[in-house]
Amino acid sequence: MTKHEIDCERALSQLFEFIDRELPDDRRAEMQHHLHTCKSCFSRFEFERRLKERLRGLGKGEPSSDISDRITKLLSRL
Amino acid sequence: MAISRKTFENQVIDLLGRMHGVACRLTRNDADAEDLVAETVARAWRALDALEHEAAFRGWIFKILHNTFLDECRRRGARPQFESLGCEESEEGEVQFSIFEQMHQPFLLWFSNPEQEFLDKILREDLDRALATLPEHHRIVVILSDLEEFSYSEIATTLAVPVGTVRSRLARARGALQKILWQQARDIGLSAAPPARHECEDGKADTPRPATARQAARAKKDGNL
Repeated sequence: MTKHEIDCERALSQLFEFIDRELPDDRRAEMQHHLHTCKSCFSRFEFERRLKERLRGLGKGEPSSDISDRITKLLSRL
Repeated sequence: MAISRKTFENQVIDLLGRMHGVACRLTRNDADAEDLVAETVARAWRALDALEHEAAFRGWIFKILHNTFLDECRRRGARPQFESLGCEESEEGEVQFSIFEQMHQPFLLWFSNPEQEFLDKILREDLDRALATLPEHHRIVVILSDLEEFSYSEIATTLAVPVGTVRSRLARARGALQKILWQQARDIGLSAAPPARHECEDGKADTPRPATARQAARAKKDGNL
């Protein structure tokens, strides 16, 4: 193995940290290299990345007029 | 005071939708969520001297929101779920439930791309329902990481736990969430996993339902058929 090569077990153990952008640069490079060469791990990566993307979509939303009015009034009284 | 009154108001207004969203998912009740946001804003204003700089505002106010939620749980006598668990952290090497792994069982290989098909079919409501089913200590880390895109460090600060605890709790929470999603999908006939094999009258094993049958089962459950 070169310094960028890791096995599937190691790749999967740090997959979520990779998706969450929590890996340091050297381990990020290892993951990128592995995902370019391993179809199985890439499929798993794509699944988890897309699921996270779907979850992120839940967080978007405008506040209702009720809560906006209530908080605006509250702020004016502080 | 690290920020002016005007900046405080602007920050609150900018974050209001997200604060309300998190509050709804914590309380699972619109009226309680509004109360939680209002109490959070009031507490934040009173504690404004404790804010060190404007850049920390988001994590700071979400920490207040979470603490306010826990205080309210205790006031009502509802013990936060994590307090009842002796050991809630993931053990090293512990394998979490994975939908992807479930869909790559040998008997499913004849599905071309089952995991992508699964993601295409689950709805926002399915995700919301699964998230709401998680215990609070799991729900909050998924909300902060996946919905609000907090870093592990920000989550650690918000929940007042070490970064390692965030990492392990998140792993367990995601496994639990995927297990719930998988069970929901099977209940409504969405997942690619076949029903339990049983013998037909002619002695041959039954085959899994095709996609159209799964869709029909879901439509029936949703009242569309």
